[in-house]
Amino acid sequence: MEFDDMKKIWDTQNNEPLYAVNETALHHRILSKKRKGFHITNISEWLSVLVYGGTACFIFGVNFYKQSGNVWMYVLAAWMLGSALYTLVSRIRRIRGERQFDRTMNGDLAHAISVAAYQVRLSFLMRWNILPMGLLTVLSVLDNGKSVWVAVGVLVFFVISYYAGGWEHNIYKNRKHELEVLQNKLESC
Amino acid sequence: MTEKGQQHIFEQWLSQHKALVFKVVRAYAFTAMDQDDLFQEISIQVWRSVTAFRQESSVTTWLYRIALNTAIKWVRKERKHQQDGNLEEVEHVLQENKMPVDERLVWLYEEISRLDEIDRSVTLLMLDNFSYKEMADILGITESNVGVKINRIKKHLISKSKKYS
Repeated sequence: MEFDDMKKIWDTQNNEPLYAVNETALHHRILSKKRKGFHITNISEWLSVLVYGGTACFIFGVNFYKQSGNVWMYVLAAWMLGSALYTLVSRIRRIRGERQFDRTMNGDLAHAISVAAYQVRLSFLMRWNILPMGLLTVLSVLDNGKSVWVAVGVLVFFVISYYAGGWEHNIYKNRKHELEVLQNKLESC
Repeated sequence: MTEKGQQHIFEQWLSQHKALVFKVVRAYAFTAMDQDDLFQEISIQVWRSVTAFRQESSVTTWLYRIALNTAIKWVRKERKHQQDGNLEEVEHVLQENKMPVDERLVWLYEEISRLDEIDRSVTLLMLDNFSYKEMADILGITESNVGVKINRIKKHLISKSKKYS
């Protein structure tokens, strides 16, 4: 066979694409991504509520029991309690907002994107929340008369947490981005 | 560019150049699972590339560049991370169109799949009538290198196609 003949055979694909998109499989894939997103969001919400709420109660209790006059510790406990409440309220609002999505493929995809967007916002806020918490912790450490090196150690810990939070945030951002690409692809096919 | 504008261009590109993406997918991925994965990966890269498109080349050239580079990277990554799990049970998003298939086209894809990654790219571009310069730009190799590769690939394919003569 000559090369020009191969070209002619090759060109036949331009009129009739070799593949089509299997919509049922696509819908199942969207549902699986949605469930995965729900699961992760659910866990991170409860984890934030329990960790912030629990730590706030612990700090407040210890400070109160010891009759410590360290104001920064009380501020830190109040800030953490506020963070726990904020996460709880956001969760309730998120669950209420879920009613607006229908059970079609596009509805499920829009729902999955909305959960992914919520997760991105939550991880963004929680990442920035590390900064005031770090600051308040360092101030309370210094107020307790601990050495500067202890304060530096605490600061380093919070800086590492901040960077780890950025890494986590990017994972959620990429996941949301993938869903948006899928949505655009669906609209163009 | 607004997100809406980006979305519009992406939709347009994908619907007009679907065949191009399918060709690259078929030349680089051989199981339905891999074809799904590569198709998804190329779509993501195309979406990301919309804002970087400066109209210095045609859309086809631009898309080929994105698709081929993504496919080459994907093949290299896949070699390192061979997936486990039961692949048979997975439902596939891409399915072959139920139409009479030209046996010679199947043969051509098989021969292309036996070439190395760069030669596969050269072959796809050559079959889609790209110039030496365009191929060199897309693949980041010199025009003379493209010429050498084309001669070798043409000879190879012609010699292999004797059963159809």
